[in-house]
Formats: sequence, structure tokens, C-alpha cells
Amino acid sequence: MAAHNDPLAHPEVRQGSVLRYIAGFVTSGAAMYFAYVQAMGHHPVVELLEILGGALLFSLITQAALFFGLDASRAQIWKSISLILTVPLFLVIIGITVWAFASLYGRTMPDPAIMNSMSM
Amino acid sequence: MQVAVDGPWSPLLGRLTLDAIPYTNPILIFTFIIAATAGLVAVGSVLYFRKVGYIWREWLCSVDHKRIGVMYMILGLVMLFRGFIDGVMMRTQQAIAIGPNSPGYLGAAHGYLPPYHFDQVYSAHGTLMLIFAATPLLTGLGNIIVPLQIGARDMAFPYLNAVSLWLTVSGALLCMISLFVGEFSNATWVGLMPFSELPSNPGVGVDYWMWALQVSSIGTTFNAINIIATIVKMRAPGMGWFRIPVFTWVSMATSIIGLTAFPVLTAALCMLGLDRYIGTHFFTAGMGGNYMLYINLFWTWGHPEVYFLVLPAFGLISEIVSTFSHKSLFGYPTMIAASMGIAGVGWVVWAHHFFTMGMGPDLIGFFSAATMIVGIPTGVKAFNWLFTMFRGRITFTTPMLWAITAILLLLLGGLTGMMLSASVVDYTVHDSVFVVAHFHCMVLVIGAGIFAAVTYWWPKIFGFKLNETLGQWFFWTFVAGSLLVFIPMFQAGLDGETRRLDYLFDTSLRPLMLLEELGIGVYFVSVFFFLAMIVVSLIKREPAGQDAWGTGRSLEWLTQTPVPFYNFAVTPQVHALDEMSWRKANGLEKAQPSTYVPIHMPSSSGLPFVIGMLSFVCTFSLVWRVWWLAGASLLAVILLVIIRSFDKNEGYVLSAQTIAEMERKLNTVSVVAEQSKVLPVGGHAEAH
Amino acid sequence: MASFPKAGADTVLWNAGADAHDNISARTYGFWLYLLSDALIIAAVFATYAVLNNPMNAAGGPLGSQFLSASKGMLQTFIVLGSVLCYSLATVALKRGSKLGVSLGMIGAILLAVVFLGIGLGDLTALSAAGDGFARSGYLSCFFTLIVTHALHMGFGILWMLVMLVQVGVFGFTENVVARLLNLRMFWQFQASVWVVVYIYVYLFGGAH
Repeated sequence: MAAHNDPLAHPEVRQGSVLRYIAGFVTSGAAMYFAYVQAMGHHPVVELLEILGGALLFSLITQAALFFGLDASRAQIWKSISLILTVPLFLVIIGITVWAFASLYGRTMPDPAIMNSMSM
Repeated sequence: MQVAVDGPWSPLLGRLTLDAIPYTNPILIFTFIIAATAGLVAVGSVLYFRKVGYIWREWLCSVDHKRIGVMYMILGLVMLFRGFIDGVMMRTQQAIAIGPNSPGYLGAAHGYLPPYHFDQVYSAHGTLMLIFAATPLLTGLGNIIVPLQIGARDMAFPYLNAVSLWLTVSGALLCMISLFVGEFSNATWVGLMPFSELPSNPGVGVDYWMWALQVSSIGTTFNAINIIATIVKMRAPGMGWFRIPVFTWVSMATSIIGLTAFPVLTAALCMLGLDRYIGTHFFTAGMGGNYMLYINLFWTWGHPEVYFLVLPAFGLISEIVSTFSHKSLFGYPTMIAASMGIAGVGWVVWAHHFFTMGMGPDLIGFFSAATMIVGIPTGVKAFNWLFTMFRGRITFTTPMLWAITAILLLLLGGLTGMMLSASVVDYTVHDSVFVVAHFHCMVLVIGAGIFAAVTYWWPKIFGFKLNETLGQWFFWTFVAGSLLVFIPMFQAGLDGETRRLDYLFDTSLRPLMLLEELGIGVYFVSVFFFLAMIVVSLIKREPAGQDAWGTGRSLEWLTQTPVPFYNFAVTPQVHALDEMSWRKANGLEKAQPSTYVPIHMPSSSGLPFVIGMLSFVCTFSLVWRVWWLAGASLLAVILLVIIRSFDKNEGYVLSAQTIAEMERKLNTVSVVAEQSKVLPVGGHAEAH
Repeated sequence: MASFPKAGADTVLWNAGADAHDNISARTYGFWLYLLSDALIIAAVFATYAVLNNPMNAAGGPLGSQFLSASKGMLQTFIVLGSVLCYSLATVALKRGSKLGVSLGMIGAILLAVVFLGIGLGDLTALSAAGDGFARSGYLSCFFTLIVTHALHMGFGILWMLVMLVQVGVFGFTENVVARLLNLRMFWQFQASVWVVVYIYVYLFGGAH
């Protein structure tokens, strides 16, 4: 890849496409609307978490593929790998913190009202 | 919107008044005299030798990774010295203030430091040593060595590299100025909560500490981005992933930690800042605050941070052990796996810093087990070093002595760490000096690694060797001092000495305290030998050749000595792991390119320095709540960034002729082997 | 001792062609790494939110379920996704080298972003006026921080787009300008992804139970 090519010929510029972006908007938006409708219904907490989590995951994956254009191509592979390695840390920070504080609250403030809120 | 704070506040000067200058404190007056004299000597010599233009052009404006690395290391060295003095003050206080009848001087009830001042000393000691000594020293080494080891001309983002440096400097300046204007934090280097909140700490100390940490962590995050992008995108042709030298691999793991962990510190400090500045209730006592949350977030950063510091030291040890055993590193793939394993597992062990918080046994068990598991890759590394040395031809040069000592210290620190990972043990020694001795052993591993690396690569960067004899005197006195200070500390911890106390009630600890003080005396002697080594080497300047130790194995030893600013005249083609050894085995290490081609270099810029100084002004004004100045300097930084983006300067081109002349001047041997022909521009670059 | 492969007669030691690095890829990759670090700042704030989202940390003040409007959040989500669509379409115009297309896309993105910010900041102002501002409780401090952090990112993005409007006009599509437009695209898409998480987690999950 020589440095003095036309910048507009760069793969990351060429990757833009009207169809993909509109598809991204529609699928993400639809997933969010679906989540909204489900949240307005009356699901028990754990089930609601699973449904919303699923909708979120779907939305983020479609955004990654359609908006960010992440795939295994030479132009994007490193971004994809870096993202995949970072996702576990994102989950670890939130997950372990929640676990630790649920445990702490349960042992130091055994008030039913609080315990229900923290019982994620 | 500003929360009500103690003391006067004026729109022009914020909380700044003449009372902020501690002109009644004799210790600080003495410190000021020393610092001012050192400053005057430094500035005076620059003016006297008419080097102002040189310093500005060649150093302060430089975007060359080697110059930036050297400046990082100078910063680290100065801060190391100041941190050492803080340590001296603590040891001396604890050597005097033992028992209810111990004498008190300078207004203190016992010893010579009142508790409030003592607290500031150990808070500063921790902050300076970890954030402003160890981190810059290691960052500087990575800056200098990584691009050379992968055959690149510079980092991926040279301008950003300079910005990182000057942001770190601005944090260090904040710590220095806190000595003479106001005070430093007394809430430990961690920032204990809710002690660091306004009700308990209405002064400026915590603000100084918070902003120093914040601004330098931004610099470190940028540096991590730079290193990762450099290693991924800028390796020389032929250098596939499994031909990368081990120090570069370790820098990659380190930077992954840096990139992912430092943002958590940024968030935690921002939230503390919001509490202190606009009255939010993240960590306050009451009104819905949760102060354990701060401790949780802090150590979520804090544990990866210690791996961020120790991994490069491991990488340095690997390089030096293999070089001076005249053997390639044993188990290179397992070393890589172990580095990545440490980075990964080290991310999920943070709660071992607060086992006593009160979380349930399931969590404690999880963190205990995870902490023990992270000892496995560390052990893999240690055994690989041993197997590297086994049946090698070991030469006991100064770097090798440091590296072997580091391995022994790792044994001591690591085993006591495994003791601490068992939560039942930790419960009994938490907040005692046993923990302090453990982590100081680990920090000494880092220190030994740094001294080894400095001695090892010094000839490559500066063109002359450091004096071996004085280097070894420095080594032995430093190690003796370390053992004298920290071995008794393990015993004292088991005997129940609490950390962070200015006064010891138990007089039976006196012999241990005196031993530690003796160790400090030996440390002073080692400082003398260190300075002597530098001065004598500068005077004698025994020139070093391309392969200064005769045993170089990796790519950086292929450059001229001292390394010219463009690194390699023509980018080398890489054929094997340990490229230099490959070339030596084929008799090609002296071969020079037959033709030179023009190369594109980035231009220097004074803007990073200006941005750094504006950051200092901004954070200083935030500390003192001088809102107009904080806003103005922040706005200036944003405007400068925008204005610079309109700059059409794209660097400059070094002509082939200029390069040829510079190479001729540096070269002592000119063997032009058959294979020295150069692939033309536009020819095949091997796929990475 | 490792044995090294022998050098052949046509083994090349130096390779000048390798100097021509792909600058745009390096810059977008570096910027992507920055975005990942930003994601981890957000993760820390989310972790804080998860812990503070309970009656004790509300200190007698309201929790999200009491003042959040999922439907307004839905509207904001569509607006921000629309803004991302506008900017992304601007980068499609970039393929053709059309300054007008790129500028129109950016202006559309800015306008939608301003509407979004108006709604969001209006919510925060209303809360503050009712006495439930950021200093009311730990929970509200975190809620405000989450929303304002996202809003600040949008604000910087808008400023960046304004600067790019000028640069596209003045410089056209040089390598620097193109690299910045690509980085901005990632930044803009990223802040929308963050909003999506906020919406699901704060508005829907927090608001519903």
C-alpha cells in the first residue's frame, strides 16, 4: 500500500454503501423498538433482562457489521480483533462489580427492599 | 454551582493566598533551597553555554522517539530521587518515633514529622514512585527500544508521543509545585474514601494528587495507543508475529493493559472530582454515596497497573538473560503466551487489594484462586529464564547481575505474594508492613530491570559505555541497601507493625527499625556510586561499536552507534527471530546498504510542549479554583488542536545523499556484501 | 543453540519499499484503539450506575423508574440513529469525491444531534428545577454523569463536524481530511452505540422494574 495513492481509493472509504447504512439504521432501530415494546409488557425481571440483553446484543452486532463495517478483511481485521478482545473486559468490569456489591449489600444491609433492587 | 469550600475565595486568584506558601515549615524551606539551587544551576548552565536554542529545537520540540524516551527517563530519574528522599524521611521518622517516651523535634510529639506531614510524605512517595518514576522510566525504555526492535523509523504517531511526554511532565510539575504552594494529599496514593472527600479534606492536597494522576494517565493511555499501533502496523518487512523480539511482545501486552485499565482510573478520578467540585454524591458518606465503589474502581485500575509496571521488567530481563547467556531465549512461544496470560488473568484479580471489604466467601474464593492462577505464567517466565541460563556461556556484566538479582527478588516478592493471595493470610497481615515489604520487593524487580536495561542499551543510544566498575559498586550497594530495608520489614509486619503510622508503640520493633535505617544509609552510598558512574562515564567516553557488548541478538543492534535520528538508513529485511544473531551466523552483520533512498521524516513541533504547559496551568488553576484561568487554558488547548489540524506540514524528506554522508561519518566499517543490494521503492513488501 | 537458516545468494538485506506505510489505516486503527479505551470509561460509569441504582443510594430522591420516559428515550434513539445515518451517507458521497454531498450529510447529522441534545438536556433541566439535580443523591449524580458524558461526546463530535465542514471546503479531500472524516465516522457511530446501551439499560431495564 503506497503512501501517495488517491486517499479516496482507500478501502475504508470504499466500504461505505447506502444500502448497508440504511439496513443498519432499520435493523438497529427495529431491535430498539422491539425492546421498547417488550419493556412495556410485564415480564419478570430475569426474563426482561434476557430479552433486553438479546435485543441489545443484536443491535450492537448489526451496528458493528453494517455501520462500522467490521469484518475479517485486511483493512478491518485488527479493529475486529481489538474489539473482540475488549468486550470481555467491558463485561468483567460491570459483572464483577455488580457481583461484589450485591454480595456486600446482602451481608451488610439485609433490607428486603434494597436486596430486590440489587438482585440483578 | 461551586461547592462551598473552606477559606477565602476570590474570582481572580481562587483559593490562592500568601498563606498557601509554607514559609514557616523548616523542612520545606530546606527543600526549597535545594530545589531552587538545582533549578538555578540547570537553567544557569544552559544560559551560560548558550544552549537555549539547542535545547528548544533539539529536545523540547523533538518528536523523535529516542529523544522523547530519554526525556521520559530523565523525568523518571529525578522523580525517583525525590521519591527516595520521601522514603528516607519515613524511615528516619520511624527510627526515631518508637515508644511513648521517644523524643519529638520540630514541633512533632514524636520524631520530627507531625502526623499530617508524615501522611503527605507517604502519599507523595507512593504517587511519585509508581506514577512519576517507574512509569516514565519504563515508558521511556519502551519508546526508545520498541521502534528499533521492529525496524521502524519512529512510532506510529510521533506527535502524539510528544504530547504524552509533556502531559506526564505537567503532572510531575503539579506534584513538585505542591511542595511549595499549598500541600499534597494526605489521603495515601490510593485516595482513601470518604477521607478524600471535601468534609474530611477541604484543602487543596487531594486536588493536587487527583489532577496529577488524571493528566498523567491521559498521557499513558495515548502512549499505549501509540505502542499498539506501532507494533501492529509498522514492523519491518519479514518480521512476522513470531519473529518479534520478546521485549516488544511484552510491550504489546503491557500496552493492552494500559489501554484497557487506565480509562477506569480516569472515570474514578472524574467522579471524585465531580464530588469535590460540584457536589455530587458518588463516594460521599451519606446522601446515597458509596465509598467502597471508589475503592473497587480504583483497584480495578490498580491491579492491572502493577502488571503494567512489572511486565516490561520481565521483558527486559528476558532480553538481557538471553543476550548474556549467549543463547536464544528458552521457550519463546510460552513467554509470549505467559505475557498475554498475565495481562488477561491480571485483569480479574483486583479485589485481593480489599479482601477485608466484607464481600462474601464466594467472591473471596474467586479472587483468591484467580490471584494464585496468575502466579502460573509468572512461574513459567522464571523457569524459562533459568532454562535459558542453563548450559549457556554466562558473562557477569553489570546488566546480567541486575537481571539475575531481579529474578531472585521476584522469587521473594512473588512467594510472599502467593502467601497474601490466600485470603486467610491476607486478613491477618492486611494493612501491616508485610504487604509493604511484598510490593517493594516487586517494585525492586522493576527497578533492577530498569537499571539493567539502562546499562545494557546505554552504549547503543549514546555511543559510549557506562563504567563497569562503578556500575558494579552501584549494583552491590543498592542490593545491600534493599535487603537491609525490606527483609526486616517482613518480620516487622508479622510482628504487627501497622503501615502508614508515624509513630510505633511497640519498642520491641526498635532493632528492626534501626536495621532499616542502616539500609537507607547504604542506599545513600549507592546513590553516590550511581552519580559517580554517570559522571566518570561522561568524562571518559570509551566509544562503543555497533554491537557494544559483542553479544547482541535482536534487530536494534544492527543500527549505527549512536543511533542516528532516522534509525535505519534503509529499512532492514528480517529473516529470523533474533535477526542480529542470524546475520552474525551468516557473516552479514556489518553489511551496509549499497544504495540509499530518500526517506520521509516527521517535522518537530513546539506544540506538544505548549500543550503540556497549558495543561499544567489548567490543572493548577483547577486545584486553586481559579475558574477563569482554567477555562482559558483549556480553551487554548482545544483551539491549538483545531488550528494545528489546518497545518499543511507533512514532514520533510531526507535526500539519499544526506543519508549517505551521515552514514559515512558514523561508519567505521564498510563491508558491502553481495546481499546488500536494496529492493527498490515500489518493490514487493513482504506481507505482515 | 538454535541453528539459523543459511543466507542464500538472492537473500535481500534491505527493503526500501517497505517505507511506504498506509497512513490512513494507521490513523484509523489508532483512533479505534482510543474508542475502545473510551468504551471502558463508559463501562466504569455503567458499573457505578448498576451499584447506585437502588433505593438506598437514592437517599429519598427519585430513581430512574420514577422519572424516565421510555417513549421519549425511544424517540431520542431514532434521532441519534438518524444522525448516524446522515453522517454515514455523507461518507458514501465521499466515495464520489462530492464536497456538496459530504457537507449536506454532515449538516443533517449536526441538526439531528442538536435536536437530540435539546431533548436530553431539557430532561436534565426539568429534573434540576424540581430539586432532583445531580447533587440530590448518589443515584442522580450517576444518572446525570452518564447522560452528560454522552452529551459531551456528542458536543465534541458536533464541533469536529463544524471544523471538517471548513476543511472540506478549504482543502478538499486530502489524505489528512479523509483520515479525519473516517475517524469522525467511527466516533459518531460509536457514540450512537453507547446511547443504545444507555437506552436499553437505563431507560428500559431501569425504568421498567
